[in-house]
Amino acid sequence: MEDVSAAGTRPLPAAAGEARRPARRGPSLLVRLRPWLLLAAPLAVIAALLLYPIIRVVYLSFQEYGLKEIISGHPRFVGLDNYREAVSGDYLWKTVLPNTVLFAVVAVAGTVGVGTLVALLLQHLGRRMRAAVIGAALVAWALPAVTGTYVWMWIFDPDSGVVRHALQGAGLLGPDGYNWFTNRLSFYAIAELNVIHHSYPFVAVTLFAGMTTVPQELYEAARLDGTTAWQRFWQITVPVLRPVFAVVTVLSTIWDFKVFTQIYLMPGGSGTNPDVLNLGVWSYMKAINQNQYGLGAAIAVLLTLLLLAITAVYLRVLFREEEIG
Amino acid sequence: MSARRSSTAGVVGKYTGAAAVLLFTLFPVWFMLSTAFNGRAASGTDSLFPTHFTFSHFTKALKPGASGGFGHYMLNSAIVTVIVVVATCLLALLGAVAMARFRFRLRTTVLVLILVVQMLPAEALVIPLFLQMKDMRMLNSLLGLAIVYTAFSLPFAIWNLRGFVAAVPVELEEAAYLDGCSWFRMFRSVLLPLVVPGLVATAAFAFVLAWEEFTFALTFLSDQSQMTVGVGLAEFLGQNTNDWGGLMAASTLVTLPVVVVFVLAQRKLTVGLVAGAVK
Repeated sequence: MEDVSAAGTRPLPAAAGEARRPARRGPSLLVRLRPWLLLAAPLAVIAALLLYPIIRVVYLSFQEYGLKEIISGHPRFVGLDNYREAVSGDYLWKTVLPNTVLFAVVAVAGTVGVGTLVALLLQHLGRRMRAAVIGAALVAWALPAVTGTYVWMWIFDPDSGVVRHALQGAGLLGPDGYNWFTNRLSFYAIAELNVIHHSYPFVAVTLFAGMTTVPQELYEAARLDGTTAWQRFWQITVPVLRPVFAVVTVLSTIWDFKVFTQIYLMPGGSGTNPDVLNLGVWSYMKAINQNQYGLGAAIAVLLTLLLLAITAVYLRVLFREEEIG
Repeated sequence: MSARRSSTAGVVGKYTGAAAVLLFTLFPVWFMLSTAFNGRAASGTDSLFPTHFTFSHFTKALKPGASGGFGHYMLNSAIVTVIVVVATCLLALLGAVAMARFRFRLRTTVLVLILVVQMLPAEALVIPLFLQMKDMRMLNSLLGLAIVYTAFSLPFAIWNLRGFVAAVPVELEEAAYLDGCSWFRMFRSVLLPLVVPGLVATAAFAFVLAWEEFTFALTFLSDQSQMTVGVGLAEFLGQNTNDWGGLMAASTLVTLPVVVVFVLAQRKLTVGLVAGAVK
């Protein structure tokens, strides 16, 4: 069958190619430029609004650029002063960096952990229960970061949140209540709940889709060998889905390092409680709220370098799986 | 698989697990809805069930003038979102065709560039873009916001759509040439109809990004008449009293379109990622 169709159809495109060749040879420049003509508009937008600004933020980070300089229009070049200011003292090392890194580590572990458990659960559920769980996950995924954050703030509201009422009802909380948002640890515990709730569905749905591609014969054979479910997970599911696990883990890491909305919106997160700032919010506070654009830019560059290092890992994963060809 | 091992412990475990997941996943959503429809008190009273069902939080939130007029913010967000969705689909399609159908010098460089700019944190770009928009007198402009969102959605949109274009067999295009089609004619009548699912996924992605974006809206918009939903929600929180009923009603209105888009585009959301990684 294949031979027949090959004999029947292949000469035709070749003939077509020959027929068009003279025309192609003449304006070959136009043909060569065609991909660039297509790319011109999208690349122009990306260059003007993503590439130029990232170059400018690096440039800014070497300048003294505050309200005075904006008005005069003459920023002063100060070398590494902004970076020196950012890394000197305890604030970056004892507050901002731990907030950023520890938060991301817990959020990634939580997201991938919960996502994996839910994906495994989905495999074992009947059709109806599976549809219900996937539907619920879609709703949690769709909940915008802003509204999601307000809902968690409302749940933990110090005055009349449902958590306060529940704990007081159970006799675990005194009549004065407790403000979860002033303490750094409980502040971030709520942020973790918020972010994991919002991001686990992506991991669960992606992993579940991946799991359906694992050949069932592998599990059958392993079962004949008398393996436990735990062994089958580690010896079949994880190795086969390693690329999917890698992609969701790296993507989660990138997202969780630059969490902004969820921190900024929570009480104290927009600067009134310096204990709870992370790199992104700190940079924003300095630049936009305090008009120290140079210092804010330097902090932003530090965050970008951190993310580029993680992106490099992501690219290596993609290249290794020959996704880019 | 589930039929084979139907031990009681397994079944109990399965349903307990499913119940726990459903509870964790839906509790905040349920709590939002419950407060939005609860008329027991004006503000500051929570309840797991709306004891006095009411629409008053919605009508109050949407009333023009009162507490900012959330309906106006939704209209602003809708305008921005439509511009972003249309612009993203058009530009991403051009880029995706170039990346999927042509082999040219610097192709890999462009691909890597697209992947890298995708990872740039908004917090790093918001500082220079704020100064840029200020110089161009585009602060408080819905169009300015839409341009920035389009740029942010483009890298991923091109990356994602590229896969859909590549999946269309080249033979179909060659057949169109055989029939004497021009390249543009082929593009319109052969390629375009076949990448519609990819365009749906791209549109959904751009929609969600533009509809709920917070950081740039917070930075660029100070004029109340130009506020979008992300920043407009903050008006329900006051210095001394919080209008939780109004906030949760407005949050429900913001969430609803996103849920609809997710449900409609659900199958396309992760297909590309998994296909790419498993292949």
